[in-house]
Amino acid sequence: MADGAAVWRPVARCVVFCSPCMKGCSRGRYPYGLCSMADLSLRNIKKIYDKNVTAVHEFNLEIADKEFIVLVGPSGCGKSTTLRMIAGLEDISEGDLLIGGKRVNDVEPKDRDIAMVFQSYALYPHMTVYENMAFSLKLRHVSKDEIDKKVRDAAAILGITEYLERKPKALSGGQRQRVAIGRAIVREPQVFLMDEPLSNLDAKLRNQMRAEIIKLRQRIDTTFIYVTHDQTEAMTLGDRIVIMRDGYIMQIGTPQEVFDRPANIFVAGFIGSPQMNLFNARLEKIGEGYQVSCAGATIALSDRIQARLTEKQVGERDIILGVRPEHVLLKSEKSSYTISATVDVSEMMGSEVYLHVTAAGKDAVLRIPTTELTEEQRGGFSYGTEIHFTFRSDLLHLFDPQTEKSLLL
Amino acid sequence: MGQSNPAAAPQKNLSHVLQRRETTVAYLFLLPALLFFAAFVIVPMVMGVVTSLFNYTMKSPVSAESFVGLGNYIELFQDKVFLRSMWNTVVIVVVSVPAVTFFSLWVGSAIYQKTGWVRSFFRGVFYLPVVTGSVTVVVVWKWMFDFQRGIFNWALKSSGLIEKNINWLGDQRVAIWCILLILFTTSVGQPIVLYVAALGNVDQSQVEAAQVDGATKLQTFWQIKWPAIKPTTLYVLVITTINSFQCFALIQLLTSGGPSNSTSTVMYYLYRNAFSLYRYGYANAMGVVLAIIIAIFSALQFKTMNTGVEY
Repeated sequence: MADGAAVWRPVARCVVFCSPCMKGCSRGRYPYGLCSMADLSLRNIKKIYDKNVTAVHEFNLEIADKEFIVLVGPSGCGKSTTLRMIAGLEDISEGDLLIGGKRVNDVEPKDRDIAMVFQSYALYPHMTVYENMAFSLKLRHVSKDEIDKKVRDAAAILGITEYLERKPKALSGGQRQRVAIGRAIVREPQVFLMDEPLSNLDAKLRNQMRAEIIKLRQRIDTTFIYVTHDQTEAMTLGDRIVIMRDGYIMQIGTPQEVFDRPANIFVAGFIGSPQMNLFNARLEKIGEGYQVSCAGATIALSDRIQARLTEKQVGERDIILGVRPEHVLLKSEKSSYTISATVDVSEMMGSEVYLHVTAAGKDAVLRIPTTELTEEQRGGFSYGTEIHFTFRSDLLHLFDPQTEKSLLL
Repeated sequence: MGQSNPAAAPQKNLSHVLQRRETTVAYLFLLPALLFFAAFVIVPMVMGVVTSLFNYTMKSPVSAESFVGLGNYIELFQDKVFLRSMWNTVVIVVVSVPAVTFFSLWVGSAIYQKTGWVRSFFRGVFYLPVVTGSVTVVVVWKWMFDFQRGIFNWALKSSGLIEKNINWLGDQRVAIWCILLILFTTSVGQPIVLYVAALGNVDQSQVEAAQVDGATKLQTFWQIKWPAIKPTTLYVLVITTINSFQCFALIQLLTSGGPSNSTSTVMYYLYRNAFSLYRYGYANAMGVVLAIIIAIFSALQFKTMNTGVEY
């Protein structure tokens, strides 16, 4: 697995340990003589169910204070389990979880100073919105005036002040989600955990709430760990993204890194919409340089890719060639540098057209700006139309067919 | 808005017709049950109330001559046996309802998260007396309480706790508590099953949210789970109250109300008046009083337990 943990991270501030009596601790909430810092370390974390089902394998991640980390992956990849282990809602089978440098494997959820937003909102149905938001503060014996201030401040941030006296059942999905977030932010937690908080909302509301979360993050400067299966949420929200599959970390990196330099075929396919096209191809050596032969066409490689292959001393071999739909260049005529394909479906989106084609025996999607189309082509591509295309030589991805890993990293 | 949509009009009429047809069909389906209910519940109830105003016995049928107005009711409150029976009934209700509710809640919350077979074992153990049938259960209890050969006397005597055998069912002071114990064991089965189901249905994410919010296990129980299982508690309270008020079979089979009416309940006294003394009118008056008291208790329980419940 590619370990992108070292590539980028906000500078973590030093851990501040308070004296056991917690003197000098401005927050005074954390019962372990530790305060303010919320850098997390997940070291060789494993989750094993029923002694033989491993949901999370050797999870290693360092999360800096105030960093926004997104765990993303398909259903059953272990992302929610990992989040629940951080929250203390699941036992950690093996490994260490450290918050602010302190091992918290055996610390109760209530003592971890974390707040969590659940996919199902998990609002208490018998309490009003106000009571829901005040619940955690009441348990901590915060004074009534302070509770009132914090609840009203949070409600104002989230625009739910007018619903404070309502019960959750009288709210819409979006309003409930705001309450769930409000319930978490009144706590001013060290770590903010969000488990697919937008997946129960419709597309429009999801976009709106995504923007709200970005704004919220700017207002409440704390560590966020966000779980989603939606790569758009992952790309737009995260400082860094952790892409998971079957309990393994596939790649860790900034959104741009995982998009530009996917570590393996899974990440290449998972990040980006429409997903990356993958073709069977052969890497050939021409003197000191390289070229790719794909479906009878010769594809030139950029200097950067050539240099990387030379550096890694890659020999001639079969490869999987990955090309994003937007990195395809439509050509008017067939040549030894073009791949021919037949159009199955064309989707006109206005500024661009998505061409679903069959090329080299495989389905592929091409995303062509309408400005690059002829007048005739703008009228639409009929079924079976033959087209010819090539790729941008600097934006190709080469993968090993056996290990599925990138040959360029 | 002001203009009517011509296309909508036939649609509305059609849906109205469909709605009426659906309602008619629904009532037709309900009719047999409704007729049965009316014939065997409503009519007898009304007759019961009416005949309670008459000195209706085997010899004197309901007629103008046998009309006594509220005479039966006045007599009731001067009848020492009835008052004693009412007192016993209230004691049974006041003791058994909270005991059954708390015990079943405790057992339910202790076992609902256990593995399948543990849960089934406990449910089976507590539910067994419910399905066994009162006669069989009472026969066993009667042997256990037996003055000479009972297991209780044997055990207490063997362990040196008592010197002389206790006449469990023949002693005025303890007989009612023996009845209560049996009533308790035969009553907890169903509430336990209900609580196990209700607690299992509490939204786990709410419980987890409370844990993350900082609630202890006890706080999570009372602040999150308890409101969620309130409808079940209300049902358990009402059903146990009604069953306790109507406690009859145990007494009939075990003590026949004795000794000296110390275990007589309103239901048992009603039965004696109706089927031993054939004073139907008087017995019906007792039935009416009991029904009113049960209704008041149930209403109070609904009033107190139904607040803040989100269905």
